[in-house]
Amino acid sequence: MIVVLEIRNLEKRLGDFALHNISLTIGEGEYFMVLGPTGAGKTVLLETIAGIIKPESGNIFLFGRDITVLPPEERGFSIVYQDFMLFPHLTVFENIAFGLREQRLPFPELRDRVTGISELLGISDLLERAPHTLSGGEQQRAAMARALVMRPRILLLDEPMSALDAASRIRLRQELKRIHRNTGTTVIHITHYFEDLFPLADRLAVMQDGAIVQVGTPEEIFNQPESDFVAHFTGMENIFRGSAVRRGDEVEIDLGPIVLHAVTPLEGDVIAGIRADELILSPEPFDSTARNTFRGTVSEIQANGVFSRVVVDVGVPMCGIITRQSLFRLGLTPGQEITVIFKASAVHVFPA
Amino acid sequence: MRAGYLSTVQAGFFAIALALLAFIFLVLAGMVLYPPFDALVRSLQSEEILFAIGLSLVTSVISTGLCALVAIPVAYSLARGTFPGKRAATILLNVPMALPPLVAGVALLIFFGPSSIGQFLENIGISVVFTPLGIIVALFFVNVPYLIRILRSTFEDINPRFEHVARTLGCSEWRSFRRTTLPLAKRGLFAGLVITWSKCIGEFGAVLILAGATRLKTETLPIALFLNMSTGDIELAIAAAIILIAISIASLLVLEYFAGESRFV
Repeated sequence: MIVVLEIRNLEKRLGDFALHNISLTIGEGEYFMVLGPTGAGKTVLLETIAGIIKPESGNIFLFGRDITVLPPEERGFSIVYQDFMLFPHLTVFENIAFGLREQRLPFPELRDRVTGISELLGISDLLERAPHTLSGGEQQRAAMARALVMRPRILLLDEPMSALDAASRIRLRQELKRIHRNTGTTVIHITHYFEDLFPLADRLAVMQDGAIVQVGTPEEIFNQPESDFVAHFTGMENIFRGSAVRRGDEVEIDLGPIVLHAVTPLEGDVIAGIRADELILSPEPFDSTARNTFRGTVSEIQANGVFSRVVVDVGVPMCGIITRQSLFRLGLTPGQEITVIFKASAVHVFPA
Repeated sequence: MRAGYLSTVQAGFFAIALALLAFIFLVLAGMVLYPPFDALVRSLQSEEILFAIGLSLVTSVISTGLCALVAIPVAYSLARGTFPGKRAATILLNVPMALPPLVAGVALLIFFGPSSIGQFLENIGISVVFTPLGIIVALFFVNVPYLIRILRSTFEDINPRFEHVARTLGCSEWRSFRRTTLPLAKRGLFAGLVITWSKCIGEFGAVLILAGATRLKTETLPIALFLNMSTGDIELAIAAAIILIAISIASLLVLEYFAGESRFV
């Protein structure tokens, strides 16, 4: 992997908010996402990469060259904000041509570049329009065209989909994927939607309170969250506090009412997380190699769409997910006795 | 019952509004119609009034230009910058606006007259006191805070991210201001300049003290009005007043027209 951007120990304080010791490496052509809740500092990080905000300490390297103090106009990065920021006093054409005009590109070449990128984004018909007459999705494409026409070394996307409705979001996700494939541009995309990740991200960083808490592929983050924050944020439903004691190859985690079996190097006070889709629900007790088997009563059934959430009280409430078909076949009703089964490896253990 | 009560109140308020409008109209029209018409036309063409019109136009335009030159950068830095003492600076900048113009005039007179700075300027040939230059200085001093205030709120309403985007598209700091914030501030800037100019045309107190009231030398329209009132030349005074009214109404109309056109809100 050729490293395009390296961020080393970045620190920035802005009022009550601070970026803490941010270090990241981004490869050429990579689609890199930064995931975190609102207020985690994602936009500040993006604006610092763009050169709009000056960091207090730490360095940013572009192809090995230190660009920490380089002004934004000399970095060759383009930014697309979540509210698009199309210049309201210019037509769509002039918005897209904005950066090329600054380069004093001869008009025929400028026009060709603008029409070329407009075709790629499907906005050729909108070039003479004023930005405020466009729909959200059209403004989004125009802003993307304005950024991409500069052939940026890195495209910075600040929650580009949060101002769009659900249907446009799904379309835009596919669009972004296609653009990334066609242009090969390195992308840093920040979002607080977990569902944006899988179709797009090669790798991602999870941010919490101005710090990066985990970096990896979406699969790694989803399957091996390194903290309960990441687990929660990526949708892990069953999270318990307990104390872990080693017993041979595995540990026993005492939750009080029940004891879980898990595989982890951790001992002492821990947090145990189990994804709802890793629980097996069975009306009859049955023998399996799974180390965790508990009897309990169904306390709640929420049928929504194809999947239903079933909460079983096994001493602690445990949430499982089954298809509506299975729900029907098992004939589950609240108050019914049921067995909950999951493997020791399904229990994700984090330090408390 | 309730509806009837409300409409009685509304009718009452409406009557008060009508009475006020009639009062304003009668006061102004009465003044315009007071002198014989031919005497008024003669006064409007007199050397003194023509001189006053010319001097008022020249000094107000120069002052407005100076105000813009200073107010744009100051307003921008107050809108965008964070620096220690910003609050104190804001308060100090508003002082000339809150000050009675006569007091501003006296302070300016002392600064440019007997003070060592005034003496120094006098020695290098720049004389401000009792000269047309004094008119420009007085107009600038009392009006620049207004323009800064208007432009500051204009700039504050423009999202700084327009400039951030422009920077990433290759613009220097100055170019991104030139190409995004400044054109986006066009309406506020235009309104601010019209207001500043019309206040310059009407300013009396500060000009009277700093530039004096010398006939055919520092005689702007308000000064002409004052001088001719005090000597009893009522036609000349009213001629000056009519031109001032015409300018006020014209600038109001221009402002109304552009306020209605809200293309970039």
